[in-house]
This record gives sequence, C-alpha cells and structure tokens, in this order.
Amino acid sequence: MDHRPFEDWLLDTQPLTIDQKRQLNTHLRTCSSCAAMAEVNLALKSVSMTPPAAGFTDRFHIRLAGRKQALRWRNFWGFSVLTLSVLGVFGWVSGPVLKDLIQSPVNLLASWISSLVSIWASFQAIIRAGMVLFKVVPGFVPAYIWGVILFAAGGWSLVWVVSLMKFSKYPEGV
Amino acid sequence: MTDETTWIIQAQQGDEEAFTNLVETYQKPVYNLCYRMLGEPEAAEDASQETFLKVFQNFARYDRQRSFATWLLSIAAHHCIDKLRRRRFNTFSIDEDEEGQTELPDRSAPDPESETARRQEGELLHNCLQSLDPTDRAAVILRYWQDCSEVEIAQTLKLTVPAVKSRLHRARRALADSWEEKTARVRTERKPYGSPAF
Repeated sequence: MDHRPFEDWLLDTQPLTIDQKRQLNTHLRTCSSCAAMAEVNLALKSVSMTPPAAGFTDRFHIRLAGRKQALRWRNFWGFSVLTLSVLGVFGWVSGPVLKDLIQSPVNLLASWISSLVSIWASFQAIIRAGMVLFKVVPGFVPAYIWGVILFAAGGWSLVWVVSLMKFSKYPEGV
Repeated sequence: MTDETTWIIQAQQGDEEAFTNLVETYQKPVYNLCYRMLGEPEAAEDASQETFLKVFQNFARYDRQRSFATWLLSIAAHHCIDKLRRRRFNTFSIDEDEEGQTELPDRSAPDPESETARRQEGELLHNCLQSLDPTDRAAVILRYWQDCSEVEIAQTLKLTVPAVKSRLHRARRALADSWEEKTARVRTERKPYGSPAF
C-alpha cells in the first residue's frame, strides 16, 4: 500500500484542509501502519518530562566534593612520585661526581675545563666545514633542483602550519 | 542581563552558588533526556550528574555566544550515546530489566482509569524508544520533550539540518512499527484472560 502523502500529512506541522483530513481519516481506517504512526505522533505530542528524585542538587554537591577530593589526592600522589623520581635520578647521576668532587676537586675541575675546550674546538671545526660546503656545493647542484627543494620545503611548512592550527583549536562541547 | 547570563558568568569565574542555580534550573530537562535515552532511572541519575560535573569542569570552554541549553543538552546527549555504545557489549537486556518496573496508577488523580491508560501509553512509548538507534533517539527526545527546532537539534547533535529531518522521519517510522508490533502483542497476550462469552 502506498502511504504517501498520508505519512507526510501526519508528520507535517502545517494544518490540513478539510478534504485532506477526510482522505486521511479514510486511509487510517484501512491502514494499520499509518494508524500506528498517528497514535505514536499523538503520544509523542502529549508526553511529559520525568523529573529526577528530590535532592538532585544535594547529591550533585556530594559527588562534586568527592571528585574534588579524588583530584586533590591524585595531584598529591602525582607530585610526590614525580619529586621522588627527580631526586632519585639526580642522586644516581650526580653521586659519582659528588664523590670525585669531595675526593679530588682539582682533578675534576681540570677534566671539566678540558671537556669544555674540546667541545668548543669541535664546534669551531663543524662551522668551518659547513662554510666550505656552503661555498662548494651550490656549484654542483643545478638551479631547478634548488627550485624543487624550496618548493618542497614551502609545502612542508604549510602542512605544519595548517596542522598546528587545526589541532590547537578547542573542540565544541566536551 | 538575565539571571541565567549572570549565573553563567559567575559560574565561569568559579562561583559554586551560581552553578547550583544552573543545576536547579536545568536538572529536569537533563535528567529527562538521560532517562529517555538510557531507559533506567539509576542510569539516568548517574548520567545527568556526570553531565553537570563535566560542565562544571569544562565551563571555561563554554562560548557565551552559543545557547547554554543547547551546549548542556549536547554534552548530556553525547554522554548517553557513548554509554549506549559501550552498553552494546554488555549482555543484559533493557526489556528484561524493565519487566518488574510497572508503575502503580496515581489514585489521587481525578480519573484513575484514564490516568492508567495514559501511563501505559507512556510506558509503551518509552519501550519503543529503546529500539531506536542512539542518535535517532536523541533527535526524537530533543524534538518532542525539549521542543527543540531542527536547527537546534542539528547544533546539539553536530549534524546537518537535512540529516536531522531524515533521522526524525526514519525514527518516527521505526517507532510506529515498534508501536504496532507491541500493541498487537499486548492484544494477543490479553486474549487468554478474556471471557469466552465475549
């Protein structure tokens, strides 16, 4: 059986004409499916809200207090574990150094200065090598390759910027 | 500035009393939405309490340009939809659970017979609602219980307006089928107790 346009008439909020009402009533007498839809529609329009049991707000305050307490405990334990871990790692790393410092401070100081000097020398060497490469390499690479590299770098940067903008937005709702 | 706007501003600044006023105002629509979505009073109580807790914890994110009711109901609806999706893995049936939950008619009502019929109709509708897809169910509840427009439902459920229209139509069709099936079952169940003289 064709239920159109009766289904639309039943769900439509516009008032029906007298002729449409007559046609609909005739159809409803013979079509159980549309009659069920009419009954459901009527039942839906006459529904009432179910309120919560009395004392909802008091129960909310109890739950909120419990949640705050749990959060405080979680923060306390989190902070304690983090502090102990940091102290443990610091002790483990600095233990041998402290021992050396107490036993022979001059030797330890000399080794530190020598390490700093060697780091500085390595850094200088890297800069010099980089300068030489910077002068020599452009002569070997054709201009169009540089174009491709610049284009790829630009595209990659764009992807990064768009991704950061997208993920840094707050979601709607929670 | 309305009372509600003042409460929202104060609550966003951490004023618990202002938030309490908002809870008082919206407890009924939020609870009703959760009850119709989840089908059980205990689950509805828990879901509505959790909704208000989420709102309290994330109030800084609320954009005052939007309707507070829509934002609140959106959180409640999504919380319930998530619960229902998780519930799919559970083995218990809502129908079985509700069998013993027949409400007694209110004797103080002016016409107990029509009151009983109205309650039975309400229960039947409530049972039919449970057969719908969670998002369709939320759309129907927002439309009929909260009087939301199609645009508001779309904003609440993060759908497009045509999608809401299509979901509402499909849901009402499904409700009618379920209603027809359930009323037919009730009629056949009642027959054995009927007098042969009739």
